[in-house]
Amino acid sequence: MTQTIEDMAEAMRLAMLRADPKLSRFDPLQRIISHDMFSEGHGGWSQLVGNYQGDLDTMLPGYAQHTSAMLSTLPHWDAGSHGGMGSSYALKIATRPRRGAQNAAIKRHTFRHRGKIRFETYFTFKPEATELKLGETDVRAVGFLFDLQSGDSDAGGERVMPHIRFLNALDGEHVQKWQFKRSNTEFQPVGEGDGVLSHYHLAPEGWEDLPGGRQRLCYNEIATKINWTYLCFDFDLDTMMPLALRCNDRELDVSGMDSIRMPAMKNLWCMLNFVFFAETDTDKRAFLYVDSVCISGDF
Amino acid sequence: MLPENITAIVARNDRWTGSAASEPHEAGWAREAVFFVRALKAPTGPQPVVRVEMSPDGMHWVAEGSEAPMPARKDEIVALRVRHFGGWLRIAADFDGPAQSTVLVTLHLKA
Repeated sequence: MTQTIEDMAEAMRLAMLRADPKLSRFDPLQRIISHDMFSEGHGGWSQLVGNYQGDLDTMLPGYAQHTSAMLSTLPHWDAGSHGGMGSSYALKIATRPRRGAQNAAIKRHTFRHRGKIRFETYFTFKPEATELKLGETDVRAVGFLFDLQSGDSDAGGERVMPHIRFLNALDGEHVQKWQFKRSNTEFQPVGEGDGVLSHYHLAPEGWEDLPGGRQRLCYNEIATKINWTYLCFDFDLDTMMPLALRCNDRELDVSGMDSIRMPAMKNLWCMLNFVFFAETDTDKRAFLYVDSVCISGDF
Repeated sequence: MLPENITAIVARNDRWTGSAASEPHEAGWAREAVFFVRALKAPTGPQPVVRVEMSPDGMHWVAEGSEAPMPARKDEIVALRVRHFGGWLRIAADFDGPAQSTVLVTLHLKA
């Protein structure tokens, strides 16, 4: 058997990854773009603020409801702090206590190579434990999206926004399925003057089912017990198409999935943004907790 | 590694009237906190005192002891400094009748 230097380098890379307790739970591609563990701070996961001009009243209501993510120990009134997988802390994205309320956290980068990227995370979700009930249909949805744009020298430049959510419940029905979104929400000018547009792409309309996308996750048995769930999404920045989606033991079919697409915008070149979001189905706060995130690329 | 510090926007352009409070914020990692409250528009009616509250669970709240008068004019700002607060923080104020204020509430946390 002949081993090339590349084979040996890859074997060494995998050996080092697997021996590292903090990275071994991930399967990163060759280059780690970011690895966030929230015992080390927010890691750049910040509030998704909406566009405005002249007056904050011009911000679309979907964005106006957003608040800042928190560093949480998952503290519960009955059992104390739950903690994360490898530390006491997780990132917490909390909605307001109003049916249909949403919140999001965003990490903003740009890309340097047009190729495959991988987004891996361990997450969980729960409603605020305001009632002594299971609450398994209180959280409507949790999900993530990328906000991408081609480089400034590309012909036919596009802004591309793959959206994926786990629709847990809708109007009290325990739906439990993965969905994507490709239909765009109309842009609106905000405020007086030219140049500032906004669109609330997390609006409830336009979600479509991933084929075979029903999945029952480990919710556990009361509102204050949580279990961490693994998720991995591969996307090609060259073709701007999804490649694979995995959640725990399930490979989901993304062959029919597409993204929200629109012509390139004048100031977003090479944009590489990542967003987590949560939505509540009742007048209780919904909490999306993120233990850790590893974003990697093939370059 | 430098100790964590963060600026969180816990209310932005929220119109406060009646019994109003900022969204609960988990801050157990922080040793100190400062809330800034800025009136984004001219407040109307008598302005109450704004108080810091802390909580064991983010659901049941008790006054922490720090108080300040709500901003009386547009763009006036007040600050509330807090230490030794456990895990949860918010601020709250009780407006009489139609009195109101549209606020920006900024929370500065430092490990």
